[in-house]
Amino acid sequence: MAEEERGILTELARYGQIGTTFAASIFIGFGIGWWLDNKLFAGKTTPWFSFIFLGFGIAAGFKHLWDLSKKISDD
Amino acid sequence: MEHPILFISVILDWIGLPVPHGPIGTTFLEKLCEPYLTYSWLVMAFLFVVPKLTLGKLELIPGTGQNFWEVLIGGILDFFAEHMGRKQARMLFPILATFFLYTLLANMIGLLPGFMSPTSSLNITIAMTIIVWVMHHVLGFRYHGWKYYKHFTGPILLMAPFMIILELIGNFARLVSLSMRLFGNILAKEILLGVLFMLAGAFFAPLPILALGVLVSLIQAVVFVLLAVVYCVGAMEHAH
Repeated sequence: MAEEERGILTELARYGQIGTTFAASIFIGFGIGWWLDNKLFAGKTTPWFSFIFLGFGIAAGFKHLWDLSKKISDD
Repeated sequence: MEHPILFISVILDWIGLPVPHGPIGTTFLEKLCEPYLTYSWLVMAFLFVVPKLTLGKLELIPGTGQNFWEVLIGGILDFFAEHMGRKQARMLFPILATFFLYTLLANMIGLLPGFMSPTSSLNITIAMTIIVWVMHHVLGFRYHGWKYYKHFTGPILLMAPFMIILELIGNFARLVSLSMRLFGNILAKEILLGVLFMLAGAFFAPLPILALGVLVSLIQAVVFVLLAVVYCVGAMEHAH
């Protein structure tokens, strides 16, 4: 794919998605941890899984950024 | 919900069908009469009927209607071919072009008084996003077999359990962000139009927002389809 063929809309689609994806991955990570804590283990492990999976969610957000920047530098 | 009068709901009410007063009905019949669902069917009916009427029989020397559709369909196909190659674009053209036409029309229809955008309901956008999400995973599996799941584990074996969790979260984040962006943009447009219309409709206050709404509708439709294309291309060309 040539660089000039891509046009401004592709860039818009790619970069416009960064913010929501980052926020969504953090929320999903925390949501999984909260579910494990409060539903699966019924509150016995309460803050721990939430915090660990919150960390996973943040890491997933950064991984998305990392993958994207790698893809851009490859092109 | 956003507009004061929705004419389909008024007609359904007049016929005697139970139109829900909130956004979501309780009984099955009420669920079928929800405004976003009826307007979604209106858009679908429009997309069925209008091409049928304007196209008629295909002719060698195209008339006005056929010219329009040929330019539109040809343009969309070229647009996809630029991003994913001619062969894959032809394979995925039916579903992606349907998404584009439906989303564009569904976004635009909310600009008319008495209509609402079906895409300003999360139910519609999340349904479309689930289709795209499942489709790109199916494509990845079809193109790479079980190897497709290997790239979820990352390059280092020791890090694999960690990376699987990260990839899973990232994949579900795609699902959420794709549906939320379309839903949020269109709902914002609808609410803004409704509020401005109620506050200062007599002084043409919604006019600039109407003009911007055309732009937002077009951009969001293009971006939704483009992201679907990007995901599909990413799933098909993953060769780690």
